Amino acid sequence: MVEENIDIDPERQREIEALEAKVGTTNHYEFLGVPSGAPLDEVRNAFHALSKKFHPDRYFGKNLGTFKGRLDKVFKRLIEANQTLSDPEKLKAYLESNPFVRAAVKAANPTTTPAAPAAKTSDELAREAERRARLSKHPYMAKAGKITELVSRAKSHISRGEYSHAFTQLNLATQFDPTNVEVKTMLVDVRKKNEDLRSTEDLKRGKDALERGDDEIAIAAFKSAATSNPKNVEAAVKAATLIDKRHNDPREASTFAQKAVDAMPNNAEYRVLLGRLLEAAGMKAMAKKHYEEAVRLDPDHPDVKKHAKRRWPF
Amino acid sequence: MAEREPVIGIDLGTTNSVVATVQSGTPTVIRGRSGSNLLPSIIALAKSGKLLVGQIAKRQAITNPTDTVYASKRLIGRKFSAKQTQDAMKVLPYQVVTGEHDDIRIKMGPTDYSLPELSAMVLKELKLDAEAFFGRPVKKAVITVPAYFNDGQRQATKDAGRIAGLDVLRIINEPTAAALAYGFGKAVNGKIAVFDLGGGTFDVSVLEVGTGVFDVIGTGGDTYLGGEDFDNRIIEWLVFDFVKEHGIDLRGDRMALQRLKDGAEKAKIELSSSKETQLNLPFISTPVGGGSALHLQKTLTREKLEELCGDLGSRCVTICEQVLSDAKVKVTDLKEMILVGGMTRMPKIQELVKAYFRRDPCKGVHPDEVVALGAAVQADALTTEDSEVVLLDVTPQSLGVAIAGGYVRRLIPRNTTVPTSVTEVFTTSKDGQTTVKIMVLQGESEVAHQNELLGEFILTGLRQSKRGEIEVDVTFEINSEGIVSVAARDKETGQQQSIQVTASGGLTESELKQILEDQSDMMLEAKTGEELGKRKADLAALMKEVTELIPQLQKATAGSEFGSDAVTKANKALEVAKGAAAGQSLAKVNESLDTLTKTMTLFKGVLQRIS
Repeated sequence: MVEENIDIDPERQREIEALEAKVGTTNHYEFLGVPSGAPLDEVRNAFHALSKKFHPDRYFGKNLGTFKGRLDKVFKRLIEANQTLSDPEKLKAYLESNPFVRAAVKAANPTTTPAAPAAKTSDELAREAERRARLSKHPYMAKAGKITELVSRAKSHISRGEYSHAFTQLNLATQFDPTNVEVKTMLVDVRKKNEDLRSTEDLKRGKDALERGDDEIAIAAFKSAATSNPKNVEAAVKAATLIDKRHNDPREASTFAQKAVDAMPNNAEYRVLLGRLLEAAGMKAMAKKHYEEAVRLDPDHPDVKKHAKRRWPF
Repeated sequence: MAEREPVIGIDLGTTNSVVATVQSGTPTVIRGRSGSNLLPSIIALAKSGKLLVGQIAKRQAITNPTDTVYASKRLIGRKFSAKQTQDAMKVLPYQVVTGEHDDIRIKMGPTDYSLPELSAMVLKELKLDAEAFFGRPVKKAVITVPAYFNDGQRQATKDAGRIAGLDVLRIINEPTAAALAYGFGKAVNGKIAVFDLGGGTFDVSVLEVGTGVFDVIGTGGDTYLGGEDFDNRIIEWLVFDFVKEHGIDLRGDRMALQRLKDGAEKAKIELSSSKETQLNLPFISTPVGGGSALHLQKTLTREKLEELCGDLGSRCVTICEQVLSDAKVKVTDLKEMILVGGMTRMPKIQELVKAYFRRDPCKGVHPDEVVALGAAVQADALTTEDSEVVLLDVTPQSLGVAIAGGYVRRLIPRNTTVPTSVTEVFTTSKDGQTTVKIMVLQGESEVAHQNELLGEFILTGLRQSKRGEIEVDVTFEINSEGIVSVAARDKETGQQQSIQVTASGGLTESELKQILEDQSDMMLEAKTGEELGKRKADLAALMKEVTELIPQLQKATAGSEFGSDAVTKANKALEVAKGAAAGQSLAKVNESLDTLTKTMTLFKGVLQRIS
């Protein structure tokens, strides 16, 4: 292939290519490089910083070759991400149609989820059923092959490890035919796989952030990892310790320690951690229970020993 | 390396134009060869046959009213038959005639000039000023237009640049330019509003500014609200009294009209600094059939002027409200507000602005020069390697396609950051339809013919089928230059047609309406059409039910305050629902469905409890 002669420095070219690759594979938060559920300020700042690099005007009158199209693609996606995330209504619609992003936002921000859809009333459920019925009657939707097509697309996504795309396809398929057992089973499976994948990724992201010294991002990542996969003990423990250390919020920290204990009920160390956090949060009776259990599990553990002979004031 | 090619920014104003450049990092106004920073946007054909531009044209306006053209910016890119053109003609002393395609021509001497040609004369003058300043040829320029100019008006302005021998790098919005000039090289961080009341147009924009990024988040305005309108109010007042006294309408006499205009503008400017001024126009008219000449002598107070123009000021405030609410910005969120345009010197305007924005406007911005300075900043940013400034501009008006029934389906709403592209699926609207017509419309009206037609094309060769079965992808794209292109693709065959919108369609509202009616067989149908029909049926049923329940409820709650209140509310909701049922907006129908469902639940609850 002939090397393109382009007026963009090679490093920027690589950045453009990297972002272009992310256009079809990341959600809006990821594309802007901000944590899921990031506040408006953070979204706007990220968008502005990226605009300074990737606005087509920065390359006005230059020889761009194939990079003209790439830049356009990248910048349009930046605009879309920014406009969706900075408009509460658009954000709400976006989160509603993208359950994974919603889960991530919720995990990163459990108290102030901006757009967690309220529990559906019976009225809404009825309307939804009616909408579904109407949808299934639609000539376009009724095409028999539609579901098969969606499922096969989903399968090819699965084979490539793109679980979130597979989920979208399957989700669509269930809307056409909510009774299809095959689709339902696949959906459950894919959701789990995707969450596990996310969880592993988030754990890594958290560790990286911790190394950089960016504790807040690390906390968000660990929380998200622990929430999307309840079996991710490492993430749960890290989240618990870090929240306790940085936010001084033993109550919230204890919920993550609880996850670790739930996943591995026979680990004395996690019991002690949970006990300590519960005690600090003032829930002494529950703390005592976990300490005692830890003593029973591993009486020789150094952390456990301290508590073995404690006398409880009640 | 050779010295950088000079680039300039031009504020092509209704009354005055300014040219500026960025010199060693500082935006500077280029002083004209006549020694002034402002060039009056006036062109005249002298009796000698010589074309005059600027101050020299302005000076001879009174003695040569029919061959002196001013405020031509108010006509650029418009149709001759448009209402605004017809209104404007009544108060213009020069002759406006129609061109071949309902475009506007202006007659000076024996020649008809198109508006881009006239604007080009002003631009050329500014180009010469810049060349005198740099001592070498200047080609590259950024020109500003009011934010609310439509595509046709922008294209015409670009054409003017081309005729003047300029390479127009970009057309940018005046309030945006003002913000660029204000924020350039400053560590501004936050939202700012720009209130731009110029000679002919009013614009207001809200921008978010952060370290070199200028992000327009909302803009709006009125292309027929400016200093000229204030002048016209004074003229009307003078003329009205003169008719009462002498029975002569001075507007019939072109020379008198020019003198009135001159006097009115002077009086208006004087009233910005003093409380009262004298209008003195001796020998303004000679009665038909002889008699001594008549003089016009009147005192105009600031109070009277404010009374004459009260509604113009409140129109500005209404537009501000609209723009801020569209941008979802509260007055208290604003960090700064900038006043632009000569008209913002009027004390009443400043008072209104202060009251609405609840703050003093930013000082240290020259209202006449700031726009040109901003244009220069953008010209510099586009041509400088690694410039510190990047402008994120928006589309000022919505874009959409005409759909069956004479309505518009909007694809790109106003205030969308450019470049952008949107694709939506449409279907055929008739059984057996093999051709669809894509009509590209710009504007905010739900009704197709009240929008501006930007262009149209036909996609043929669709498979014969029932309505709604054939699907067509329609893609709208606006690139960073602001050029609109539209493509339609038959999803089945992959066949595609597209246009780039380059010139305005040249149609009047009634022509457009006619075309839409004639071609109703070729219209597209929005994919929501079916949903809308069903929802409307639901709504009709619900409306009937509620209407029937009202008498029952009245009887049950007879006389109680709660009862009459509930009935009033229900009637109001029914009224709104009626409107929604007649319209084509799915959102509105859904909204009414929700409200009426609530009303219904309430009614049933009350009736149950009582019976």
